Amino acid sequence: MTTFRAGFTLPLEELRDEMDRLWSSLTAAPPLHGWGVRPDASAFPAVNVRESDEAVIVEAELPGLDAADVDISATGEELVLKGKRPGAVPAGDGEPTAGAEKVIWHRRERGTGSFERRITLPTAVDAGSITARLVDGVLTVTCPKAAEAQPRRVEVQST
Amino acid sequence: MTTQVSSTAPTAMPATPAEARAGAAELTYQPHVDIRDLGSEVVFDADIPGARADGIDVTFEDGVLAVRASVPPRDLPGRAVRQEYGIGNYRRSFRLGEGFDASQITADYRRGVLTIRVPRLAAVRPRKVAVRAG
Repeated sequence: MTTFRAGFTLPLEELRDEMDRLWSSLTAAPPLHGWGVRPDASAFPAVNVRESDEAVIVEAELPGLDAADVDISATGEELVLKGKRPGAVPAGDGEPTAGAEKVIWHRRERGTGSFERRITLPTAVDAGSITARLVDGVLTVTCPKAAEAQPRRVEVQST
Repeated sequence: MTTQVSSTAPTAMPATPAEARAGAAELTYQPHVDIRDLGSEVVFDADIPGARADGIDVTFEDGVLAVRASVPPRDLPGRAVRQEYGIGNYRRSFRLGEGFDASQITADYRRGVLTIRVPRLAAVRPRKVAVRAG
């Protein structure tokens, strides 16, 4: 369940967003990580998944988070990413917080809130050996394949 | 999600969809940014995960704050099974105008977020003026 606090944009922003969408549909370039205030993706965060002989590697971009903000779990063929990015102040013209200067938001594009995403993996993995790193907002989860899912050399008998 | 691909150099645009999907760091993205005006300073927070700390370039010239960050390709093993987002360099600029103290700008890169603080010159900071009645 993702809960995103809605931001606000000026009318020119709407036009620019529309042009960006149009442009990206023309170029077919892969999109930016999805953590914006009005995410179009049905699932957040966006992930890139790779598969090697030994493991399935899942990568997601979670700027602003550190290890304590992310919760990773797995069962069999599914990986679950949960977490949250706290919002600093409410959207719209800021109200003075205790002792702080009044804040005016000129632009609010970065989303905040909690997320949970279930990712179906291409093969079964060994949930107990999963490792993850979060460096500079990039989360890399390495899921070693379950023993039976690893490719096996087959000895060919000649008799 | 807002998808933004922009570049001023022709060679940075992917020529074909296949080239774009190749994920070469020739793509350039505009990062999502929050801009807060605190009166004494304006604070920019930009999401630029995966950027190299020494590859981030922040300049403020003629009233324009410009951010460039280079993002190295991620050398992950195996073949791509699913690709939902692209990886590329970041670039964005903002026109701030006058009244800012360029010599006091600070920039911090932490957890993939670049925070730039641009203080206003002391003379132009908002001041509460005591009103004398009488």
